[in-house]
Amino acid sequence: MWRALAVIAVTLSLAPVLFAEKLHLEKTISLPGDVVVRFTAISPAGTFVAGICRDQKLRLWDASSGSLSRTLDLAGEKLTTARFSDNGQLLALGGAGGRVRIWELPSATLKLDFSAPNSINALTISSDRKLLAAAPLEEGAEIWDLSSAKQVAKMRAPFSGTSALAFSPDGRWLATADGDTSIRLYDARTGMLRNSTDDLLLESFAIVFSTDGKYLLTGGADKVINVIDASNGKVLRALAKQDDALLDLRQSRDGKLLAAAYVNADDPSKPAPVVIWDLETRSPRTRILEPGVAPNGGEFLSDGRLLMTSGSEKELKIWSVGP
Amino acid sequence: MSDRGGLNRREILQKCLALGSMTLIASSDSAAMLLAFEGKELRKPTPANELGPFYKKRAPETAMLRAAGDPGMPLSVSGQILDTRGEKLPDVVVEVWQTDHLGHYDLDGYRYRAKLPADSSGNYKFESVMPGHYPDRVCQHIHYLVTAPGHKPLVTQLYFATDPVFEGDPDKNFNRDPLIHSRELVRPVMLVGDPKDIHAAVSFELCLERV
Repeated sequence: MWRALAVIAVTLSLAPVLFAEKLHLEKTISLPGDVVVRFTAISPAGTFVAGICRDQKLRLWDASSGSLSRTLDLAGEKLTTARFSDNGQLLALGGAGGRVRIWELPSATLKLDFSAPNSINALTISSDRKLLAAAPLEEGAEIWDLSSAKQVAKMRAPFSGTSALAFSPDGRWLATADGDTSIRLYDARTGMLRNSTDDLLLESFAIVFSTDGKYLLTGGADKVINVIDASNGKVLRALAKQDDALLDLRQSRDGKLLAAAYVNADDPSKPAPVVIWDLETRSPRTRILEPGVAPNGGEFLSDGRLLMTSGSEKELKIWSVGP
Repeated sequence: MSDRGGLNRREILQKCLALGSMTLIASSDSAAMLLAFEGKELRKPTPANELGPFYKKRAPETAMLRAAGDPGMPLSVSGQILDTRGEKLPDVVVEVWQTDHLGHYDLDGYRYRAKLPADSSGNYKFESVMPGHYPDRVCQHIHYLVTAPGHKPLVTQLYFATDPVFEGDPDKNFNRDPLIHSRELVRPVMLVGDPKDIHAAVSFELCLERV
């Protein structure tokens, strides 16, 4: 699924086309000769950039100073996904062997460690930091209670597992974007299915809730962003179709902007943009496609900026877009 | 499930087991015992292989994926659909999708995508072209989704022994594509027809596992 494409996002090249905001270079972090950052996770609090490196280590950089804060040895497991909690205090890591770990920051205390039956496609932490959801490849998604460190629900597996996950802002619901192209909404405490969106023909690779919890925003191989009524699973509308498949979505804290990372479906090594959508006008606001910038991670911060990283073999650059 | 109101399902099962009125055996184990009794061996289910990102629902029902004049090597794919006991499975739903001869998937329409017409005799067949190399993949391939009542859905891919990536030795080189975990998904390719109308033919048997 996007399991394969996610790796390619690292190689995207970017050139400005439409700019409501400018792309600012915030920091350039020099990397030791043997360190290559595969992808990053960025704390929405703006505190850390976590670099998942080819040497099976995770490096945490201070986002404002660019200094290396900590290095975590991942005991040889190749990471497939990483995600911060909204407040940046928890970092969830999922590996190719199915291991899921949650670290508490800045102390780097291991808070939860379990093994799922297969490589982890996606992870997400509820806003109240009580629940974690993990999507193992080809398996049903799992929900874990972080205080008791116990599994509270396991969803029935669609025929090819789940590609993307999102908790509702109140933590009551878990939405999954599944390999059979359906979007499903579950009670996060019981795993009971609330509704299912079965009208989408192609798989979604990304899913987020609107900040008021009323809508789901999804996108993937169909090249559009679908707006779904979370109460009944009906597709209300689709934002303008783009040339490329949608790979990832991030929403600003105020719910007004949506950053969408795209990938060229015909040839993922070719450039594809990051587009910032204005959700009030339902139109693209900023289109980022700049030579020499190969984004490998991005996140909206609480101050409204979109932070992005791009990497090469010698350095990691931190960019910002917005106020 | 709710435990309210009388015995729940688990308690009923526990009581039956305690009374000796029921023996729990996994379905594959019971099938194996039956076959052992009959002096036969269970077939191995077809190995699963990744779905890939471009499965599209509601493909048209047709066995003809190529249109007249389509470029590329014409390709016929056929095979039996069996269960692990070797019995033919009728009325199985087989969905296939692939790139065109240049390695492009059709995401906007349904070119080179089909739901194959149901076959009551447990066979399937379709006509297509040899897929090209998708830029993000090493090998040419065709995706399969096979579903049948009472059986686990099979998600797999068919590969071609003639793929240049294998350099003529798929036994040795099949894992040059990191997604190929099983040699048996790489099938021999026959060239058939007269020299003016040559096409490729591949046989790919599908074996489904009971739920």
